[in-house]
Amino acid sequence: MSSILKKTDLGAWAAALEAEVFAPALADGVWAYQPVAPGANDGGVALTHPNTARPPKNFAFPQREVLYTFEQLKGQAPKLTETLPNPAPVVVMGVRPCDGRGAPRNDMVFTGAFDDPYYQSRRAKTAYVGLACNTPPSPNCFCKAVGGSPSSKEGLDVQLTDLGDRYHVVAVTPRGEELIEAGGKLFAEAGAADEKESQRLHSEAAKCEQRTFGDLAAAAPALKKNFDSEMWQSLAKACIGCGICTFLCPTCHCFDISDEVTGQSPMRGERVRTWDNCQFPDFTMHSSGHNPRETLGARLRQRVNHKFLYFVENNGTQQCTGCGRCISFCPVGIDIVAVLDRMIQA
Amino acid sequence: MTENVYLPKLARIASIKDEVVGARAIKTFQVEFPDGDMFEHECGQCAMISVFGKGEMMISIASSPLVKDYKQFSIMRVGKVTTAIHAMKVGDVIGVRGPYGNKFPVNDWKGKNLVFIGGGCGLAPIWPIIQTAVAQRSDFANITVFYGGRSSRDIMYRAELEKLRGVADVHLSVDQAEEGWEGYCGFVPANVMSTGVAPDNAIAITCGPPIMIKYVIQNLKGLGFADEQIYTTIENKMKCGIGKCGRCNVGKDYVCVSGPVYSWAQLKDLPQEY
Ligand SMILES: Cc1cc2nc3c(=O)[nH]c(=O)nc-3n(C[C@H](O)[C@H](O)[C@H](O)COP(=O)(O)OP(=O)(O)OC[C@H]3O[C@@H](n4cnc5c(N)ncnc54)[C@H](O)[C@@H]3O)c2cc1C
Ligand code: SF4
Ligand code: SF4
Ligand code: FES
Repeated sequence: MSSILKKTDLGAWAAALEAEVFAPALADGVWAYQPVAPGANDGGVALTHPNTARPPKNFAFPQREVLYTFEQLKGQAPKLTETLPNPAPVVVMGVRPCDGRGAPRNDMVFTGAFDDPYYQSRRAKTAYVGLACNTPPSPNCFCKAVGGSPSSKEGLDVQLTDLGDRYHVVAVTPRGEELIEAGGKLFAEAGAADEKESQRLHSEAAKCEQRTFGDLAAAAPALKKNFDSEMWQSLAKACIGCGICTFLCPTCHCFDISDEVTGQSPMRGERVRTWDNCQFPDFTMHSSGHNPRETLGARLRQRVNHKFLYFVENNGTQQCTGCGRCISFCPVGIDIVAVLDRMIQA
Repeated sequence: MTENVYLPKLARIASIKDEVVGARAIKTFQVEFPDGDMFEHECGQCAMISVFGKGEMMISIASSPLVKDYKQFSIMRVGKVTTAIHAMKVGDVIGVRGPYGNKFPVNDWKGKNLVFIGGGCGLAPIWPIIQTAVAQRSDFANITVFYGGRSSRDIMYRAELEKLRGVADVHLSVDQAEEGWEGYCGFVPANVMSTGVAPDNAIAITCGPPIMIKYVIQNLKGLGFADEQIYTTIENKMKCGIGKCGRCNVGKDYVCVSGPVYSWAQLKDLPQEY
């Protein structure tokens, strides 16, 4: 069963949800998830964005997370205070399918033999209301090349499809059903014509022109074969090691843990984890100065191999959802599709 | 939700011993767990040690799993956190979380000749195996220990190594000849080569600076050791210790979980990013 929500009722739905609601808004020329003001009235939420500059990964994995605090009087034992988050429910609206697919990939990292309680407590409270792409929002989109599609529901709780003046709404998870129920009468049962139109848009979008590097299954073997290739150095030549490619990636999850001291007597501070970046030389440099990934080429290879080889070996799927951010925002034009293409052709 | 993996247990420093002083200072710390939350570990496993206000560092557990009342860590002073712990005193409290990583398959080595080859701070990760093998001496055939430092002042566990001589062949070395030194003069790999060890029914375990490990393995291969008979550990930079922060990643492995112990047969298939 699916339903219909008038676009002008989106704000009312957001207001009806017992959750902090976020939706893309243009701020200083950049599309970013912004809190929807309580009581946002008709038209207060409009999903007219291409894709946000930053992916929504921060809702479960914030850029800075205090793991615990410590306090210590001179000569005494330190006192630790756990700071596990207990967030209010969060609903993120307008999530593009590629970013939706980022969520289960991050889940794979933060669960398993060791569960990450910080990620999990935030993730459990986060719901994603996705927006299918009727046309690819960026010239660098390549979701189809990595097993996704412009109407993928993977990782989403609710999927919206833009039918002009209204959305066709599909609940993907039980949490999604709850969210729709909370909207009550704002939702009407979808008729056969609306369902058909939604399907038509999905299959039109599936035929869209997108960038591609060819056969996805060929990527991992090609990367394995070309590990020692000279191509890595030449492909990375222009890289300035800024790390934007990983900070903006919906699936990059590497982090640092460090102590921030906030006061003395008693000495106190926070143990924090912050996003980190495999493109920085410090990331792997030993205290002795020895660096296992000394060159930009080795670090580009790590980024690409992690996503298209190692993650596949460990989790059976790519750790890239084709959002295209790392291409669009790289200041020097390093292009993961072109890199994969070169590796597969070689 | 289960326990918080990032939250360390509090441990009290029960003793501190200067192993090496000067530029490459090494101190050995024995720590107790006053809250009664001591954990078990296996040979080769590590722990993430906190000096609150400074940070965390991954350190090999240098005591034998048979020791139940303290954990031992031997730490070389190289940077921020190691310097901070070197400044601590008996009674001070640190954080410990773990144990992390895989283990040396010591149980599979019963009845075999064990050849230990260490350099610098690299005696710490293999010390638990040596201790275990000595405690269960009849389970193993010959025990041979090669260990070297840059100079005689850089030799850690000096007294313990001398005591080992009764039950093991101990070959100590210093890089350059010096007054009063009776052991071998030269690098550890050369000591192994010139003394010669037979590969028959043997396992070689080597730990130390990457460059030493490289030549030790070359020489062991020269002596006829098969890849499966050679074990080592790799020490990539680590932050989480639980396969999440991505830092220790080598190929598909997170060294903090799949390592740090590798046979050369396993290691030679991994990219050389360690
Ligand atoms: C499996 C394993 C086992 C080990 N076992 C032992 C052992 O038994 N004994 C032993 O002595 N060592 C051991 N080590 C090595 C030990 O972990 C390191 O020597 C130790 O972490 C160094 O910490 P530090 O704070 O003193 O060094 P630092 O070089 O100061 O590094 C501390 C952290 O602070 C950050 N940092 C420091 N300086 C800077 C800077 N200028 N800019 C940005 N960031 C900076 C780095 O991110 C670094 O992670 C082991 C390592 C591993 C991986
Ligand atoms: S964004 Fe571009 S320049 Fe910056 S680290 Fe990534 S590849 Fe290099
Ligand atoms: S690697 Fe690039 S294209 Fe793939 S998900 Fe990350 S930012 Fe998007
Ligand atoms: S130390 Fe974080 S993944 Fe290994």
